[in-house]
Amino acid sequence: MGKIRRTALAIAVAVSVATALAGCGAGSRTASSAAAQVTCDFTAPAQATTVNVLAYNSSAIDPFTNTMVKSCSRDQVTVKHEPIDFGGQVQKTTATLAGPTGTYDIVETYSFVVPQYASQQKLMPLDDLYNEFKDRYALGEINQSMRDAMSYDGKLYGLPMQAQTYVLAYRKDVFDQLKLTPPTTFAELRDVAAKIQAAGQIKYPLALPLLASADVATGYRAALNSLGLDYVDAKTTTPNFDKPAAATAFQELQSLRPFMDPQVTTFDQPRVQQQMYNGSAAMAIMFSGRMNDLTQPANSRFAPQFGFAPPPTVQGGTVAYNVLSVDGWSLPTNTKVDPKLLFQMIGAAVGPDASKAAIPAAFPARDGIMTPQSSPYATAALQSITTAPPADPHPWTSQISTQTTDVVASVILGNTSVPDGLAQMQQISNKILADYR
Amino acid sequence: MSNPGAGGAMRLREFTSFVAPSVLVMVGLLVFPLYRTLEWSLERVNYGSPGEFVGLANYGQALTDPRLGRAVLFTVGITVVVVAALLVCGYVLAVLVDRLQRAKPWVLGILLISYVVPQLVGATMFSWLFDANFGGVVNYLVSQLSGQEVQWFTQPWPNRMVIALSTVWFLLPFAMLVIIAGLQGVPTEIIEAAKIDGAGPLRTHLSVIVPSIRGVLGFVAIVSIMDVLRIYDPLIPLAPQATQIGNESIMLYIFNVAFRDGGQQLGLGSAINVLLIVLIGLMLFPFIRDVAREASQR
Repeated sequence: MGKIRRTALAIAVAVSVATALAGCGAGSRTASSAAAQVTCDFTAPAQATTVNVLAYNSSAIDPFTNTMVKSCSRDQVTVKHEPIDFGGQVQKTTATLAGPTGTYDIVETYSFVVPQYASQQKLMPLDDLYNEFKDRYALGEINQSMRDAMSYDGKLYGLPMQAQTYVLAYRKDVFDQLKLTPPTTFAELRDVAAKIQAAGQIKYPLALPLLASADVATGYRAALNSLGLDYVDAKTTTPNFDKPAAATAFQELQSLRPFMDPQVTTFDQPRVQQQMYNGSAAMAIMFSGRMNDLTQPANSRFAPQFGFAPPPTVQGGTVAYNVLSVDGWSLPTNTKVDPKLLFQMIGAAVGPDASKAAIPAAFPARDGIMTPQSSPYATAALQSITTAPPADPHPWTSQISTQTTDVVASVILGNTSVPDGLAQMQQISNKILADYR
Repeated sequence: MSNPGAGGAMRLREFTSFVAPSVLVMVGLLVFPLYRTLEWSLERVNYGSPGEFVGLANYGQALTDPRLGRAVLFTVGITVVVVAALLVCGYVLAVLVDRLQRAKPWVLGILLISYVVPQLVGATMFSWLFDANFGGVVNYLVSQLSGQEVQWFTQPWPNRMVIALSTVWFLLPFAMLVIIAGLQGVPTEIIEAAKIDGAGPLRTHLSVIVPSIRGVLGFVAIVSIMDVLRIYDPLIPLAPQATQIGNESIMLYIFNVAFRDGGQQLGLGSAINVLLIVLIGLMLFPFIRDVAREASQR
């Protein structure tokens, strides 16, 4: 009996330790107790109402979500949000918007997917509600270009909360030592990387998120846009992968490979951050939402040494190797909760107080909230947003991006030649565009 | 005077009340999903809309996709290697742990940690051992000893090795625990008899103990084959480039095809699922036949 007890105790201890360790990483990245308390000024419904919110956890999104949950759960209304990662949000968004009823009443969306869902009438147009509550929640202060990015066919489908844009992070100490300046084109980027490499301290000085199953598609589109080309010629609804710039975008990205870790196609943004933290890279181009982590001394001994600049262009011009991604709140068409009630919640969650509380982790959508003094990378982010290509307002973009990701990865890895890869991408895109012609 | 029919009726009622919940759960969680999978495998299906019958088109598309062939080859290969390693290492570890006295429960408890950690979390931690970005102790030792930088996550064979090691690490405690239970059921008399007959330790294990616990080993093999054939979680952190280097398992392939690459190809995903069920049945057949034969002999 004693033996069984000892065995059970040992197993219980092991299970408890493992469970505790596994649970450490779960949940919100920003404490909900630190969320802003704002006025969520709705008229309480007659019946008890639960509002389910779908929003992924990140240090840039959490302040807005937590504000909504904390401020709008009152009277008979309960706002519920379960922790989830970005991949989970993508899956659940597809599922909840699919049928006549859904699980969620408020969904976090972003400019990349809004045109697709809006064209399928899965999201509510918000213009009437926006006009009704514009003054109460000071919605006119939300940046016009960000509202445009969350619009489709002239109608607003998402209330912007914050934006992400690429920023170049670099090691000031390394640059000062080698008398280098932040690169403004890919040619300069190669030159700077070669000099750092030649100095012998850092073998792979450049880090880009080029994960073969996801980020690589974003990287290719950023290069393509910087060369002045979109996936599709919107006037003729024909893919642009047979244009010379489509091949140039691949060649320019491939030209950076000697300066990047050989396993770069396994790196998502957290891994690129890690390379900067541990000093194995001296430059990285990532979304602005990742930059605040670099400035934290708790994350890296190099934190005081990180400088920030707008990303370079691929071959000059005004559009950089950049992406503007706007995050916002949308209301599913299939929600059974009163849209007015829901809109007031999202209005409160993007209000001035919530936006100020989101600094420095986020780049709030309200004009004037982000200033050069807001964070060490604020100046670079403010400059970067002026060099980003405009958000693509077409519903086919996200489909083409998803379905061509494996081909892009295969070309970047050198498993498929550039002409063959482009021919495959043209074929895939033509098939998708057939539904829109 | 007693009513002979009353006891029978009561037994039937009791039997029904005990069995009904299990039957309901099995129908809800096993039969219905299986029926729906079979139905969808013959349809083009999107979320929220009724399927459109396409006959065997999904099967045709799946069977002509070279990616499925690569996924089957990879999955079957890693299953064979991992299950063999589990049986051998699980047996050796079980024999060693079974000999322990007071430390036995603590050693067992510690060894079980890898099994109770969620597989995704365990595989992520395992990946750090090989990742230079996270200190990578194993990567460092290998590069120091070999003088070469091994690309654990982008080269097919090193990556396969990492995946296999991680899977063995995760499942080994289960194998060991079941085999220990089997070892405790082996009569000491036959071991003593083997010793008296002059059998050495190796001969005793191979000719006496292993045949005695053949049923237990078969059970470990069956459960392990089912687990490894459905491998998915560890590939997320361990094989971020799985599709490009031919290390995509069948389950990962199903996920990619059904939910990621083309958006929503639930019909195609269901067809591949049906093919996976057939494959699992084929691979388990010899073991199930042995276990059934052994049971019928008792």
